[in-house]
Amino acid sequence: MIKRLLIAAAALAYLGFLAVLGASYFLGLKQASVWPPPAKAVPEKDVPKVEKNVQQLERRMTALQPRGLYIVIDTAENRLTLMNGDKPVRTAVVSCGSGVVLEEPGGKKRSWVFDTPRGEFTVKSKITNPYWVKPDWAFIEEGEKIPKAMEDRIEAGTLGDYALGFGQGYFIHGTLYTRLLGRNVTHGCVRVGDDDLKYLYKAVPIGAKIYIY
Amino acid sequence: MKAIKTTAAVAILAVAGVAALGWAAGTDRAALAKKQETLNAEYGLAKEAKFYFVFDVLGRKIELRVRGMVLRTWPIESMRFWGKPDFTGAVELVKKTTLKAPERIVIKPGETETPAPAPAATTPAPAANPAEFQLEALELKDMPTRFGLDLDNGLHISIRARTGGSPGMASRLRDAWRWYIALPLRDLTASRRSQGFSELELVFADGKDPQSIYWHLFDGIKGIIL
Repeated sequence: MIKRLLIAAAALAYLGFLAVLGASYFLGLKQASVWPPPAKAVPEKDVPKVEKNVQQLERRMTALQPRGLYIVIDTAENRLTLMNGDKPVRTAVVSCGSGVVLEEPGGKKRSWVFDTPRGEFTVKSKITNPYWVKPDWAFIEEGEKIPKAMEDRIEAGTLGDYALGFGQGYFIHGTLYTRLLGRNVTHGCVRVGDDDLKYLYKAVPIGAKIYIY
Repeated sequence: MKAIKTTAAVAILAVAGVAALGWAAGTDRAALAKKQETLNAEYGLAKEAKFYFVFDVLGRKIELRVRGMVLRTWPIESMRFWGKPDFTGAVELVKKTTLKAPERIVIKPGETETPAPAPAATTPAPAANPAEFQLEALELKDMPTRFGLDLDNGLHISIRARTGGSPGMASRLRDAWRWYIALPLRDLTASRRSQGFSELELVFADGKDPQSIYWHLFDGIKGIIL
């Protein structure tokens, strides 16, 4: 008797569950039937006005896009593309930021995140035979004492033959570690191979836009 | 008699033609309204120098854009949905959720006996292919292939790659339970409580696409769902 009651209770529970699940599927189908949601049509009399507005918006959108040469950098793929309008002019394999966090030991407890900054930038400077003025983190990372004299921070040859500055101490520059091009290894700057760097330096004017994503 | 039949046929055709034209005009006007709405939303985002995404549900793609330019397109292989389908419009990514979020490597010089080498000064062991070097860095390959995006309009998007090999039985059962039992019941519960519930699952053919989306879509990025 108890066994039968238990079986009946289980069957009832199962049927109840199926009924609830069925209701869920019914609701799901009902919701799906209104996809895609219908757009409200523009009243006949407003059509010319809306068409004019759409054209104006399209013109505004076009005006937002950069003119002439600009640089696009994909930090995930480590690819730099020099664009002219919507046409790619040259593509280069580069190295972007490693994403590593460096924490300063001792009392100061400063920290640095080695990311390549993302966003819209402009080429602010173009330098030949650039010197690297080593910031504090470069010494901390090597476990060295931070020098007081500026001349002790200057290092030649590390950044290649050219550098394009885009603000806040970030540059597109050359590298000695060419076999690491294509990997995320830098402290935030964008490293480019010699030939590509020379091409970029000659082609890209100061003021050109840089989009890093 | 024949003339009456011909006249009637012509009249019916004319009425049908006018009705069809009216319907087409209505569709065009709806499309125009949609276009204006989309352009308005996109212009609002594009006039700022910030990245935004456009998720074209019917076009089956997600795009990363800036200033109206498409920087990156991720084609969607397949998608499925539970809940209220009223999630289109301007949105913001509240947070990305994943079981195991990628973690940054933290270097603390002097805290270990042998300090960790700096990424820029790393001299990797010789390998045939530079892509094989194991670096102390956060790279695309470290991003998850399966994660969720919580948007501010209540929509939850699950993103995953189509698995290369066959997934395990446990994983299949868990997915089946979630999609065919748990989510429908959650939808019903939310509906009874008059709460919004929308869950969208996107599958990408290229295994790198979800990783790339995780990399490029950051918390707080704004976007438009078409």
